[in-house]
Amino acid sequence: MNKVIEIKDLTKVYPNGRGILDINLDIYEGDIFGFLGPNGAGKTTAMKIMTGLISADSGDVRIFGHSITEEYEKAMAEVGCIIEVADSFPFLSAYENLKQFSRYYPGVDDQRIDEVLEITGMIKFKHEKPRKFSLGMKQRLGLAAAIISRPKILILDEPLNGLDVEGMIDIRKLIMLLAEKEKTTFFISSHLIHDVELTCDRIGVIYNGKMLNVDRTDNILQNYATLENYFVSEVERNGRVPSSTNQ
Amino acid sequence: MAVFQAALINEIEKLYKKKKVMVAIFISLAVIVVGQLIIVGMRTGFGLRGVGSVEFPILVLSVVVNTILPLLTALVAIDCFSSEFSNNMMRVTLTRPVSRFKIFTAKVTTIVIFILFNLFVLFAFSLLAGFLFNANSATVAGFFKIVLSYSVSLIPMIVLALGIVFLANIFKNGTSVFFVSILGFLILKAGAVLFSQYSSLFITSQLDWYNLWLASSFPFSRIGHQLLIMLGYGIMFFTAGYYLFDKKEY
Repeated sequence: MNKVIEIKDLTKVYPNGRGILDINLDIYEGDIFGFLGPNGAGKTTAMKIMTGLISADSGDVRIFGHSITEEYEKAMAEVGCIIEVADSFPFLSAYENLKQFSRYYPGVDDQRIDEVLEITGMIKFKHEKPRKFSLGMKQRLGLAAAIISRPKILILDEPLNGLDVEGMIDIRKLIMLLAEKEKTTFFISSHLIHDVELTCDRIGVIYNGKMLNVDRTDNILQNYATLENYFVSEVERNGRVPSSTNQ
Repeated sequence: MAVFQAALINEIEKLYKKKKVMVAIFISLAVIVVGQLIIVGMRTGFGLRGVGSVEFPILVLSVVVNTILPLLTALVAIDCFSSEFSNNMMRVTLTRPVSRFKIFTAKVTTIVIFILFNLFVLFAFSLLAGFLFNANSATVAGFFKIVLSYSVSLIPMIVLALGIVFLANIFKNGTSVFFVSILGFLILKAGAVLFSQYSSLFITSQLDWYNLWLASSFPFSRIGHQLLIMLGYGIMFFTAGYYLFDKKEY
Protein backbone atom coordinates (compact mmCIF):
# COMPACT_ATOMS: atom_id res chain seq x y z
CA MET A 1 0.00 0.00 0.00
CA ASN A 2 1.11 3.56 -0.72
CA LYS A 3 2.47 5.65 2.09
CA VAL A 4 0.50 8.91 2.13
CA ILE A 5 1.76 10.49 5.36
CA GLU A 6 5.28 10.03 6.64
CA ILE A 7 6.16 11.45 10.04
CA LYS A 8 9.85 11.28 10.77
CA ASP A 9 11.64 11.99 14.06
CA LEU A 10 9.13 14.70 14.91
CA THR A 11 9.99 16.66 18.03
CA LYS A 12 8.43 19.78 19.46
CA VAL A 13 8.95 20.81 23.08
CA TYR A 14 7.14 23.83 24.52
CA PRO A 15 8.76 26.06 27.16
CA ASN A 16 6.71 24.24 29.84
CA GLY A 17 8.45 21.00 28.91
CA ARG A 18 5.43 19.41 27.26
CA GLY A 19 5.14 18.49 23.61
CA ILE A 20 6.12 15.52 21.48
CA LEU A 21 9.37 13.59 21.31
CA ASP A 22 10.78 11.74 18.35
CA ILE A 23 7.49 10.64 16.77
CA ASN A 24 7.81 8.28 13.80
CA LEU A 25 4.68 7.19 12.01
CA ASP A 26 3.58 6.08 8.55
CA ILE A 27 0.00 6.30 7.34
CA TYR A 28 -1.03 4.29 4.31
CA GLU A 29 -3.64 4.95 1.66
CA GLY A 30 -7.13 3.95 2.83
CA ASP A 31 -6.20 3.84 6.52
CA ILE A 32 -8.63 5.11 9.11
CA PHE A 33 -5.95 5.84 11.64
CA GLY A 34 -6.92 6.55 15.22
CA PHE A 35 -4.51 8.70 17.20
CA LEU A 36 -5.32 7.79 20.75
CA GLY A 37 -4.13 9.45 23.88
CA PRO A 38 -5.30 11.32 26.95
CA ASN A 39 -5.63 15.11 27.06
CA GLY A 40 -2.22 16.76 26.86
CA ALA A 41 -0.52 13.68 25.37
CA GLY A 42 0.61 15.60 22.28
CA LYS A 43 -2.05 14.65 19.72
CA THR A 44 -2.98 18.21 18.77
CA THR A 45 0.68 19.30 18.71
CA ALA A 46 1.49 16.54 16.23
CA MET A 47 -1.55 17.40 14.11
CA LYS A 48 -0.76 21.12 14.15
CA ILE A 49 2.72 20.35 12.83
CA MET A 50 1.20 18.06 10.20
CA THR A 51 -0.97 20.92 8.95
CA GLY A 52 1.70 23.61 9.16
CA LEU A 53 0.10 25.59 11.98
CA ILE A 54 3.20 25.25 14.13
CA SER A 55 6.76 24.33 13.27
CA ALA A 56 8.65 21.36 14.66
CA ASP A 57 11.91 21.69 16.58
CA SER A 58 13.22 18.82 14.47
CA GLY A 59 11.94 16.17 12.11
CA ASP A 60 9.58 16.48 9.17
CA VAL A 61 6.17 15.49 7.89
CA ARG A 62 5.70 14.47 4.27
CA ILE A 63 2.26 14.26 2.71
CA PHE A 64 2.19 12.48 -0.64
CA GLY A 65 5.97 12.88 -0.62
CA HIS A 66 5.87 16.67 -0.18
CA SER A 67 7.47 18.20 2.89
CA ILE A 68 5.05 20.29 4.92
CA THR A 69 7.78 22.86 5.63
CA GLU A 70 9.27 23.12 2.15
CA GLU A 71 6.34 22.46 -0.21
CA TYR A 72 3.33 23.51 1.85
CA GLU A 73 0.89 24.16 -0.99
CA LYS A 74 1.62 20.83 -2.67
CA ALA A 75 1.52 18.94 0.62
CA MET A 76 -1.87 20.43 1.58
CA ALA A 77 -3.42 20.27 -1.89
CA GLU A 78 -5.32 17.07 -1.12
CA VAL A 79 -5.75 17.45 2.62
CA GLY A 80 -8.80 18.54 4.55
CA CYS A 81 -8.60 19.15 8.27
CA ILE A 82 -10.17 20.28 11.50
CA ILE A 83 -7.72 21.21 14.23
CA GLU A 84 -9.01 21.66 17.80
CA VAL A 85 -12.15 23.63 16.97
CA ALA A 86 -14.01 23.80 13.67
CA ASP A 87 -13.67 27.55 13.18
CA SER A 88 -15.53 29.59 10.59
CA PHE A 89 -15.91 33.30 9.91
CA PRO A 90 -18.84 34.47 12.09
CA PHE A 91 -19.75 37.41 9.84
CA LEU A 92 -20.13 35.22 6.74
CA SER A 93 -23.00 32.81 6.11
CA ALA A 94 -22.39 29.04 5.96
CA TYR A 95 -22.44 29.28 2.17
CA GLU A 96 -20.05 32.25 2.08
CA ASN A 97 -17.66 30.45 4.42
CA LEU A 98 -17.56 27.43 2.15
CA LYS A 99 -17.26 29.67 -0.92
CA GLN A 100 -14.12 31.20 0.64
CA PHE A 101 -12.50 27.77 1.00
CA SER A 102 -13.70 26.56 -2.40
CA ARG A 103 -11.71 29.28 -4.19
CA TYR A 104 -8.47 27.49 -3.34
CA TYR A 105 -9.51 24.36 -5.22
CA PRO A 106 -10.15 24.23 -8.95
CA GLY A 107 -13.37 22.39 -9.78
CA VAL A 108 -15.20 23.11 -6.53
CA ASP A 109 -18.40 24.89 -7.52
CA ASP A 110 -21.68 25.93 -5.89
CA GLN A 111 -23.13 22.49 -6.58
CA ARG A 112 -20.37 20.92 -4.48
CA ILE A 113 -21.04 23.46 -1.71
CA ASP A 114 -24.70 22.40 -1.64
CA GLU A 115 -23.60 18.76 -1.71
CA VAL A 116 -21.36 19.06 1.39
CA LEU A 117 -24.01 21.09 3.20
CA GLU A 118 -26.48 18.31 2.41
CA ILE A 119 -24.07 15.56 3.56
CA THR A 120 -23.43 17.28 6.88
CA GLY A 121 -27.10 18.16 7.40
CA MET A 122 -26.48 21.90 7.20
CA ILE A 123 -28.30 22.74 3.98
CA LYS A 124 -31.22 24.36 5.81
CA PHE A 125 -28.79 26.74 7.49
CA LYS A 126 -27.02 27.64 4.22
CA HIS A 127 -27.67 31.37 4.50
CA GLU A 128 -27.34 31.69 8.26
CA LYS A 129 -24.26 33.03 10.00
CA PRO A 130 -22.24 30.73 12.28
CA ARG A 131 -22.39 33.20 15.18
CA LYS A 132 -25.92 31.85 15.75
CA PHE A 133 -24.87 28.19 15.48
CA SER A 134 -24.57 25.68 18.32
CA LEU A 135 -21.22 23.95 18.88
CA GLY A 136 -22.50 20.87 17.06
CA MET A 137 -23.63 22.92 14.05
CA LYS A 138 -20.24 24.68 13.94
CA GLN A 139 -18.57 21.26 14.01
CA ARG A 140 -20.75 20.10 11.10
CA LEU A 141 -19.90 23.23 9.12
CA GLY A 142 -16.22 22.60 9.89
CA LEU A 143 -16.58 19.09 8.53
CA ALA A 144 -18.29 20.44 5.41
CA ALA A 145 -15.32 22.79 4.96
CA ALA A 146 -12.88 19.93 5.47
CA ILE A 147 -14.44 17.68 2.82
CA ILE A 148 -15.34 20.37 0.29
CA SER A 149 -12.34 19.69 -1.96
CA ARG A 150 -12.89 15.89 -1.97
CA PRO A 151 -9.56 15.50 -0.13
CA LYS A 152 -7.65 12.24 -0.25
CA ILE A 153 -6.59 12.73 3.36
CA LEU A 154 -8.68 14.04 6.23
CA ILE A 155 -6.92 15.09 9.41
CA LEU A 156 -9.51 15.45 12.14
CA ASP A 157 -8.65 16.50 15.66
CA GLU A 158 -11.46 15.47 18.01
CA PRO A 159 -14.11 15.64 15.25
CA LEU A 160 -16.92 14.58 17.57
CA ASN A 161 -16.41 17.43 20.03
CA GLY A 162 -19.68 19.17 20.79
CA LEU A 163 -21.82 16.70 18.87
CA ASP A 164 -24.86 14.99 20.34
CA VAL A 165 -25.34 11.22 19.97
CA GLU A 166 -27.16 11.62 16.68
CA GLY A 167 -24.40 13.88 15.40
CA MET A 168 -21.71 11.42 16.49
CA ILE A 169 -23.44 8.58 14.65
CA ASP A 170 -23.87 10.74 11.54
CA ILE A 171 -20.21 11.75 11.48
CA ARG A 172 -19.07 8.18 12.09
CA LYS A 173 -21.23 7.05 9.18
CA LEU A 174 -19.80 9.84 7.04
CA ILE A 175 -16.25 8.76 7.84
CA MET A 176 -17.05 5.14 6.92
CA LEU A 177 -18.80 6.27 3.72
CA LEU A 178 -15.90 8.45 2.57
CA ALA A 179 -13.37 5.76 3.41
CA GLU A 180 -15.33 3.17 1.48
CA LYS A 181 -16.59 5.18 -1.51
CA GLU A 182 -13.84 7.75 -2.07
CA LYS A 183 -10.99 5.78 -0.48
CA THR A 184 -10.25 8.76 1.76
CA THR A 185 -7.46 8.23 4.27
CA PHE A 186 -8.29 9.42 7.77
CA PHE A 187 -6.03 10.56 10.58
CA ILE A 188 -8.33 11.03 13.53
CA SER A 189 -7.37 11.98 17.04
CA SER A 190 -9.65 11.31 19.93
CA HIS A 191 -9.63 10.72 23.63
CA LEU A 192 -12.91 8.81 23.25
CA ILE A 193 -11.62 5.23 23.19
CA HIS A 194 -14.97 3.64 22.31
CA ASP A 195 -15.36 5.93 19.36
CA VAL A 196 -11.89 5.13 18.03
CA GLU A 197 -12.64 1.42 18.42
CA LEU A 198 -15.80 1.75 16.33
CA THR A 199 -14.28 3.89 13.60
CA CYS A 200 -10.58 3.21 13.10
CA ASP A 201 -8.81 0.26 11.54
CA ARG A 202 -5.30 1.21 12.76
CA ILE A 203 -4.48 2.70 16.09
CA GLY A 204 -1.50 4.56 17.47
CA VAL A 205 -1.18 5.30 21.15
CA ILE A 206 0.55 8.48 22.22
CA TYR A 207 1.33 9.18 25.85
CA ASN A 208 3.39 11.97 27.39
CA GLY A 209 4.50 13.04 23.94
CA LYS A 210 5.84 9.63 22.97
CA MET A 211 4.45 7.14 20.51
CA LEU A 212 3.93 3.91 22.46
CA ASN A 213 2.66 1.54 19.81
CA VAL A 214 0.88 1.27 16.47
CA ASP A 215 -1.25 -1.75 15.57
CA ARG A 216 -4.32 -2.82 13.60
CA THR A 217 -7.61 -2.65 15.49
CA ASP A 218 -8.52 -6.25 14.63
CA ASN A 219 -5.13 -7.48 15.95
CA ILE A 220 -5.63 -5.54 19.15
CA LEU A 221 -9.14 -6.87 19.67
CA GLN A 222 -7.89 -10.44 19.23
CA ASN A 223 -5.66 -10.01 22.25
CA TYR A 224 -7.70 -7.60 24.37
CA ALA A 225 -11.40 -7.52 25.23
CA THR A 226 -11.64 -3.81 24.51
CA LEU A 227 -9.47 -1.04 23.17
CA GLU A 228 -9.54 0.50 26.62
CA ASN A 229 -7.79 -2.59 28.06
CA TYR A 230 -5.17 -2.34 25.32
CA PHE A 231 -4.64 1.35 25.99
CA VAL A 232 -4.22 0.78 29.73
CA SER A 233 -1.87 -2.14 29.12
CA GLU A 234 0.27 -0.12 26.69
CA VAL A 235 0.54 2.77 29.09
CA GLU A 236 1.23 0.43 32.00
CA ARG A 237 3.97 -1.29 30.03
CA ASN A 238 5.62 2.08 29.78
CA GLY A 239 5.17 2.53 33.51
CA ARG A 240 3.14 5.69 33.50
CA VAL A 241 -0.48 4.77 34.07
CA PRO A 242 -2.39 6.60 36.77
CA SER A 243 -3.83 4.24 39.36
CA SER A 244 -7.44 5.23 38.64
CA THR A 245 -7.30 3.98 35.03
CA ASN A 246 -5.83 0.67 36.15
CA GLN A 247 -8.97 -0.50 37.83
CA MET B 1 -1.03 33.25 -9.26
CA ALA B 2 -4.46 31.58 -9.10
CA VAL B 3 -3.91 30.81 -5.41
CA PHE B 4 -2.91 34.41 -4.66
CA GLN B 5 -5.94 35.61 -6.61
CA ALA B 6 -8.20 33.35 -4.51
CA ALA B 7 -6.60 34.65 -1.30
CA LEU B 8 -7.04 38.25 -2.47
CA ILE B 9 -10.72 37.78 -3.43
CA ASN B 10 -11.33 36.16 -0.03
CA GLU B 11 -9.70 39.05 1.83
CA ILE B 12 -11.64 41.67 -0.15
CA GLU B 13 -14.89 39.77 0.45
CA LYS B 14 -14.20 39.61 4.20
CA LEU B 15 -13.47 43.35 4.33
CA TYR B 16 -16.61 44.17 2.36
CA LYS B 17 -18.83 41.92 4.50
CA LYS B 18 -17.58 43.56 7.68
CA LYS B 19 -19.12 46.83 6.43
CA LYS B 20 -15.83 48.72 6.96
CA VAL B 21 -16.06 50.09 3.42
CA MET B 22 -19.47 51.61 4.09
CA VAL B 23 -18.16 53.22 7.27
CA ALA B 24 -15.24 54.69 5.31
CA ILE B 25 -17.58 56.12 2.66
CA PHE B 26 -19.86 57.57 5.31
CA ILE B 27 -17.01 59.22 7.26
CA SER B 28 -15.43 60.58 4.07
CA LEU B 29 -18.74 62.06 3.01
CA ALA B 30 -19.28 63.57 6.45
CA VAL B 31 -15.83 65.24 6.38
CA ILE B 32 -16.53 66.77 2.99
CA VAL B 33 -20.01 67.97 3.90
CA VAL B 34 -18.79 69.50 7.17
CA GLY B 35 -15.79 71.07 5.41
CA GLN B 36 -17.92 72.58 2.67
CA LEU B 37 -20.49 73.86 5.17
CA ILE B 38 -17.72 75.62 7.12
CA ILE B 39 -16.44 77.24 3.94
CA VAL B 40 -19.92 78.33 2.83
CA GLY B 41 -20.57 79.66 6.33
CA MET B 42 -17.30 81.65 6.29
CA ARG B 43 -18.09 83.05 2.87
CA THR B 44 -21.64 84.14 3.64
CA GLY B 45 -21.26 85.02 7.32
CA PHE B 46 -17.85 86.72 7.36
CA GLY B 47 -17.46 87.66 3.73
CA LEU B 48 -14.25 85.63 3.47
CA ARG B 49 -13.33 84.12 0.11
CA GLY B 50 -12.91 80.55 1.43
CA VAL B 51 -11.46 78.18 -1.17
CA GLY B 52 -12.14 77.64 -4.85
CA SER B 53 -13.10 74.41 -6.60
CA VAL B 54 -9.44 73.42 -7.05
CA GLU B 55 -8.30 74.30 -3.55
CA PHE B 56 -11.15 72.53 -1.77
CA PRO B 57 -10.09 68.93 -2.64
CA ILE B 58 -6.49 69.82 -1.66
CA LEU B 59 -7.74 71.31 1.61
CA VAL B 60 -9.73 68.13 2.28
CA LEU B 61 -6.64 66.03 1.50
CA SER B 62 -4.47 68.07 3.87
CA VAL B 63 -6.95 67.35 6.68
CA VAL B 64 -7.71 63.67 5.99
CA VAL B 65 -4.11 62.46 5.42
CA ASN B 66 -3.33 63.47 8.98
CA THR B 67 -6.58 62.36 10.58
CA ILE B 68 -9.26 60.00 9.31
CA LEU B 69 -7.27 58.31 6.55
CA PRO B 70 -4.56 56.96 8.93
CA LEU B 71 -7.29 56.12 11.44
CA LEU B 72 -9.40 54.13 8.98
CA THR B 73 -6.28 52.49 7.57
CA ALA B 74 -5.25 51.44 11.09
CA LEU B 75 -8.71 49.98 11.75
CA VAL B 76 -8.66 47.96 8.55
CA ALA B 77 -5.05 46.76 9.03
CA ILE B 78 -5.87 45.69 12.59
CA ASP B 79 -9.02 43.98 11.40
CA CYS B 80 -7.15 42.04 8.72
CA PHE B 81 -4.57 40.71 11.17
CA SER B 82 -5.25 41.12 14.89
CA SER B 83 -8.96 40.22 14.73
CA GLU B 84 -8.15 36.98 12.98
CA PHE B 85 -5.30 36.19 15.38
CA SER B 86 -7.42 36.68 18.48
CA ASN B 87 -10.43 34.71 17.20
CA ASN B 88 -8.26 31.84 15.92
CA MET B 89 -9.73 32.59 12.50
CA MET B 90 -6.30 32.56 10.92
CA ARG B 91 -6.27 28.75 11.24
CA VAL B 92 -9.21 28.49 8.85
CA THR B 93 -7.19 30.10 6.08
CA LEU B 94 -3.77 28.72 6.95
CA THR B 95 -4.84 25.08 6.66
CA ARG B 96 -5.70 25.55 2.99
CA PRO B 97 -3.19 24.95 0.17
CA VAL B 98 -1.91 28.51 0.23
CA SER B 99 1.47 29.68 1.52
CA ARG B 100 1.75 32.18 4.35
CA PHE B 101 3.55 34.59 2.04
CA LYS B 102 0.55 34.66 -0.32
CA ILE B 103 -1.89 35.17 2.56
CA PHE B 104 0.23 37.98 4.00
CA THR B 105 0.62 39.64 0.59
CA ALA B 106 -3.11 39.26 -0.12
CA LYS B 107 -3.94 40.94 3.20
CA VAL B 108 -1.52 43.81 2.56
CA THR B 109 -2.86 44.20 -1.00
CA THR B 110 -6.41 44.37 0.40
CA ILE B 111 -5.35 47.17 2.76
CA VAL B 112 -3.74 49.02 -0.18
CA ILE B 113 -6.93 48.60 -2.23
CA PHE B 114 -8.90 49.97 0.72
CA ILE B 115 -6.64 53.05 0.96
CA LEU B 116 -6.90 53.57 -2.79
CA PHE B 117 -10.67 53.27 -2.64
CA ASN B 118 -10.85 55.66 0.31
CA LEU B 119 -8.68 58.22 -1.48
CA PHE B 120 -10.80 57.87 -4.59
CA VAL B 121 -14.03 58.42 -2.64
CA LEU B 122 -12.55 61.51 -0.99
CA PHE B 123 -11.25 62.76 -4.33
CA ALA B 124 -14.58 62.27 -6.11
CA PHE B 125 -16.73 63.77 -3.35
CA SER B 126 -14.45 66.73 -2.66
CA LEU B 127 -14.13 67.48 -6.36
CA LEU B 128 -17.89 67.35 -6.74
CA ALA B 129 -18.41 69.58 -3.71
CA GLY B 130 -15.77 72.03 -5.00
CA PHE B 131 -17.48 72.28 -8.39
CA LEU B 132 -20.96 72.57 -6.92
CA PHE B 133 -20.07 75.44 -4.62
CA ASN B 134 -17.45 77.27 -6.66
CA ALA B 135 -17.31 76.19 -10.29
CA ASN B 136 -15.88 79.51 -11.55
CA SER B 137 -12.27 78.78 -10.58
CA ALA B 138 -12.14 75.30 -12.21
CA THR B 139 -9.23 74.69 -14.62
CA VAL B 140 -7.80 71.63 -16.35
CA ALA B 141 -4.38 72.26 -14.77
CA GLY B 142 -6.05 72.49 -11.37
CA PHE B 143 -7.80 69.18 -11.95
CA PHE B 144 -4.49 67.45 -12.75
CA LYS B 145 -2.98 68.94 -9.61
CA ILE B 146 -5.75 67.36 -7.55
CA VAL B 147 -5.35 63.98 -9.29
CA LEU B 148 -1.58 64.11 -8.69
CA SER B 149 -1.95 65.06 -5.02
CA TYR B 150 -4.40 62.25 -4.29
CA SER B 151 -2.37 59.71 -6.29
CA VAL B 152 0.98 60.40 -4.60
CA SER B 153 -0.68 60.38 -1.15
CA LEU B 154 -1.17 56.64 -1.61
CA ILE B 155 2.55 55.96 -1.09
CA PRO B 156 3.02 57.32 2.47
CA MET B 157 -0.33 55.77 3.45
CA ILE B 158 0.92 52.36 2.29
CA VAL B 159 4.10 52.79 4.36
CA LEU B 160 2.01 53.75 7.38
CA ALA B 161 -0.27 50.73 6.82
CA LEU B 162 2.79 48.44 6.64
CA GLY B 163 3.99 49.90 9.94
CA ILE B 164 0.63 49.09 11.53
CA VAL B 165 0.69 45.59 10.00
CA PHE B 166 4.11 45.11 11.60
CA LEU B 167 2.68 46.17 14.98
CA ALA B 168 -0.33 43.89 14.47
CA ASN B 169 2.09 40.99 14.13
CA ILE B 170 3.89 41.91 17.36
CA PHE B 171 0.85 42.37 19.62
CA LYS B 172 -1.85 39.72 19.77
CA ASN B 173 -4.59 42.10 20.83
CA GLY B 174 -6.14 44.51 18.33
CA THR B 175 -6.82 47.15 20.97
CA SER B 176 -3.14 47.23 21.94
CA VAL B 177 -2.16 47.65 18.28
CA PHE B 178 -4.65 50.49 17.89
CA PHE B 179 -3.42 52.42 20.93
CA VAL B 180 0.26 51.81 20.17
CA SER B 181 -0.38 52.99 16.58
CA ILE B 182 -2.08 56.19 17.79
CA LEU B 183 0.63 56.80 20.38
CA GLY B 184 3.36 56.16 17.81
CA PHE B 185 1.64 58.49 15.36
CA LEU B 186 1.45 61.31 17.92
CA ILE B 187 5.06 60.78 19.06
CA LEU B 188 6.30 60.87 15.47
CA LYS B 189 4.26 64.01 14.77
CA ALA B 190 5.69 65.71 17.89
CA GLY B 191 9.17 64.39 17.04
CA ALA B 192 9.00 65.96 13.60
CA VAL B 193 8.29 69.34 15.21
CA LEU B 194 10.90 69.04 17.98
CA PHE B 195 13.63 67.67 15.72
CA SER B 196 12.69 69.54 12.57
CA GLN B 197 16.13 68.99 11.00
CA TYR B 198 15.39 65.25 10.94
CA SER B 199 11.69 65.56 10.11
CA SER B 200 12.12 63.95 6.69
CA LEU B 201 13.03 60.72 8.48
CA PHE B 202 9.68 60.54 10.27
CA ILE B 203 7.00 58.60 8.40
CA THR B 204 4.26 60.94 9.56
CA SER B 205 6.00 63.92 7.93
CA GLN B 206 5.79 62.18 4.60
CA LEU B 207 1.99 62.19 4.72
CA ASP B 208 2.13 65.77 3.47
CA TRP B 209 4.63 65.05 0.70
CA TYR B 210 2.00 65.73 -1.99
CA ASN B 211 2.86 69.41 -1.38
CA LEU B 212 6.26 68.79 -2.99
CA TRP B 213 4.49 67.71 -6.17
CA LEU B 214 2.53 70.96 -6.28
CA ALA B 215 5.60 73.23 -6.05
CA SER B 216 6.04 75.60 -8.97
CA SER B 217 9.68 74.55 -9.50
CA PHE B 218 9.62 70.77 -9.35
CA PRO B 219 11.97 69.59 -6.54
CA PHE B 220 13.32 66.40 -8.15
CA SER B 221 15.99 65.70 -5.56
CA ARG B 222 13.68 66.19 -2.54
CA ILE B 223 11.00 63.99 -4.07
CA GLY B 224 13.60 61.33 -4.89
CA HIS B 225 15.01 61.57 -1.37
CA GLN B 226 11.56 61.21 0.27
CA LEU B 227 10.58 58.40 -2.08
CA LEU B 228 13.71 56.41 -1.19
CA ILE B 229 13.12 56.92 2.53
CA MET B 230 9.53 55.68 2.18
CA LEU B 231 10.67 52.77 0.04
CA GLY B 232 13.20 51.85 2.73
CA TYR B 233 10.58 52.00 5.48
CA GLY B 234 8.12 50.07 3.33
CA ILE B 235 10.56 47.25 2.59
CA MET B 236 11.64 47.03 6.24
CA PHE B 237 8.07 46.96 7.59
CA PHE B 238 6.91 44.45 4.98
CA THR B 239 9.85 42.13 5.62
CA ALA B 240 9.65 42.36 9.41
CA GLY B 241 5.84 41.98 9.35
CA TYR B 242 6.05 38.93 7.10
CA TYR B 243 8.84 37.40 9.20
CA LEU B 244 6.67 37.62 12.34
CA PHE B 245 3.58 36.41 10.47
CA ASP B 246 5.47 33.42 9.08
CA LYS B 247 6.89 32.44 12.49
CA LYS B 248 3.55 32.72 14.30
CA GLU B 249 2.19 29.54 15.81
CA TYR B 250 -1.54 28.84 15.94
